[in-house]
Amino acid sequence: MGKILMKGNEAIGEAAIRAGCLNYFAYPITPQSEVAEYLSRRMPEVGGVFLQAESEIAVGNMLFGAAGCGARVFTTSSSPGISLMSEAISYISSAQLPVVFVNIVRGGPGLGGILPSQADYFQATKGGGHGDYRLLVMAPASIQEAVEMVMTAFPLAEKYRNPVMILGDGLIGQMMEPVEFPEHLRTEPSNKDDWATNGMDTRKSSKPNLVKTLFLNAEKLEEHNVILKAKYDRMKREEVRYEPYNTDTDYQALIVSFGTMSRVCRTVIDDLKAEGFETAMIRPQTLFPFPEEPIKQAALKESCKVIISIELNMGQMVEDVERSVQGGRPVHWYGKAGGDVPTPEEIIDVIKSFVS
Amino acid sequence: MVQVKGIVVIVGNYGSGKTEVAINLAVNRKRAGLDVRIADLDLVNPYFRTREARKPLAELGIDVVLPPEKYLQADLPILSPVIAGLIRRPSQLTLIDAGGDNVGATVLATLADSFRKRRVHMLQVVNPYRPFTDTVTGCLKMQNEIEKASKMTINGIIGNANLIDETRVEDIYKGYDFVKALSDESRLPLEFITAPVELLPEIDVERFSCPVLPVERQLVPPWKKAVELRE
Repeated sequence: MGKILMKGNEAIGEAAIRAGCLNYFAYPITPQSEVAEYLSRRMPEVGGVFLQAESEIAVGNMLFGAAGCGARVFTTSSSPGISLMSEAISYISSAQLPVVFVNIVRGGPGLGGILPSQADYFQATKGGGHGDYRLLVMAPASIQEAVEMVMTAFPLAEKYRNPVMILGDGLIGQMMEPVEFPEHLRTEPSNKDDWATNGMDTRKSSKPNLVKTLFLNAEKLEEHNVILKAKYDRMKREEVRYEPYNTDTDYQALIVSFGTMSRVCRTVIDDLKAEGFETAMIRPQTLFPFPEEPIKQAALKESCKVIISIELNMGQMVEDVERSVQGGRPVHWYGKAGGDVPTPEEIIDVIKSFVS
Repeated sequence: MVQVKGIVVIVGNYGSGKTEVAINLAVNRKRAGLDVRIADLDLVNPYFRTREARKPLAELGIDVVLPPEKYLQADLPILSPVIAGLIRRPSQLTLIDAGGDNVGATVLATLADSFRKRRVHMLQVVNPYRPFTDTVTGCLKMQNEIEKASKMTINGIIGNANLIDETRVEDIYKGYDFVKALSDESRLPLEFITAPVELLPEIDVERFSCPVLPVERQLVPPWKKAVELRE
């Protein structure tokens, strides 16, 4: 099959099918509604299920139930919808079930707006729901990368028995780019006997699987949290993904940026290079685990004077950048949160003002 | 040479390239000396709409009809009464860029009174590299759904085969063969096909039975520059 031209939202839906996910529960919200629209046509063609729930709260609990039965399952939504699902995300994390969430972020807080935003960085990487849990969070910068991340998300969710979130902004959902799809993955999770409820069928496992999140005994809850923490620590060791750009030069400024904002920054780096002014970028592909060490190393390069975290929000990821750099160099933030994506010219002025 | 004139309504699948085609058709016909007005009727999707090319079009003297400024960012179906006036007193070319799919075309039905007794040309934009219009059957299904929703008849086809930046000459040839087959099957004339302006020198236009509209890309993401439009 050759390349086809797809909107991010359509490509995300198709990628889930190719990853063997035939269970999709969702509720429409701009700017991700095309996923539901696309899958409402495609799921019946492949014998899958698209169920439009009565609310995002219901979606969250459907995911919890389906994953508990061993089904490969996912949903897509946008910011306020993810807020409504946050209770279920906390439960699913505690119950150690694999579910893939896609958040095509819109402006906030509250109803906010429907234009591109990265204002759910904190929500995705530092909670949203209650309790000590972490999501593995990936942020695509192109439609092709969104396809690859969605297809990787399912096996990762199963490997860790933990929810995985794809964090895209409105442009990732709405813009069109040519994409190619890899071959289908297997349909059934290989390790589902570890968690799927099997109705006391001891032929499948020696003890029945229980899905629960209540631990009234202090020692048991402590033990449970230690198990969860060990998984998050393993993610930090094994799952960090990032893309360096122009880092083999003597750059004066290091940009940290993700998603579509990083596409603008790439143009900026090329334009500045043409002027003879070297800058570089570390683009986190995973937001949790965060590429702390690569950012620290890149920041400490002798030529580098400043680090600038450029985001479509009022300064969220910059806190993780500061934590990574550990005071070794000055860290600044630049961003916008209304829905207008900063232009390359705007970013060039910002970089020059910080470097001079 | 593309010969389109009168009242022309551009319809098609979601993401088939209606807006990019409408903008470039407006520019092409304006350069040929026609008075051109273009109306943005896309009430479905707030991303990548005609209104984004408002300034360069206005500089060429093309009148862009949009909802009043205060509603411009509204995620609401606001249909300006100006559109009805536009149809009553058409320019030499009055282009109406409808929203995607049958959902977007539904708005056209509310203009039925204005369209009555007017000669209206409704053209379907087809990109065979898009999902759901990669088969002739898929395109015919969309034709049928749009006609039902708009209560109007499609009179012609525009071939808009492209993979944006990655379009190659052979994609244009293959795309032409596809829309030619669609034209034969549906018995609707193939009005014209499009080709990125950068590819034109490499394309053998003798291969086609219809004119080619050069596309100077205007709807670009924030990290890219639109092709500069000259008179």
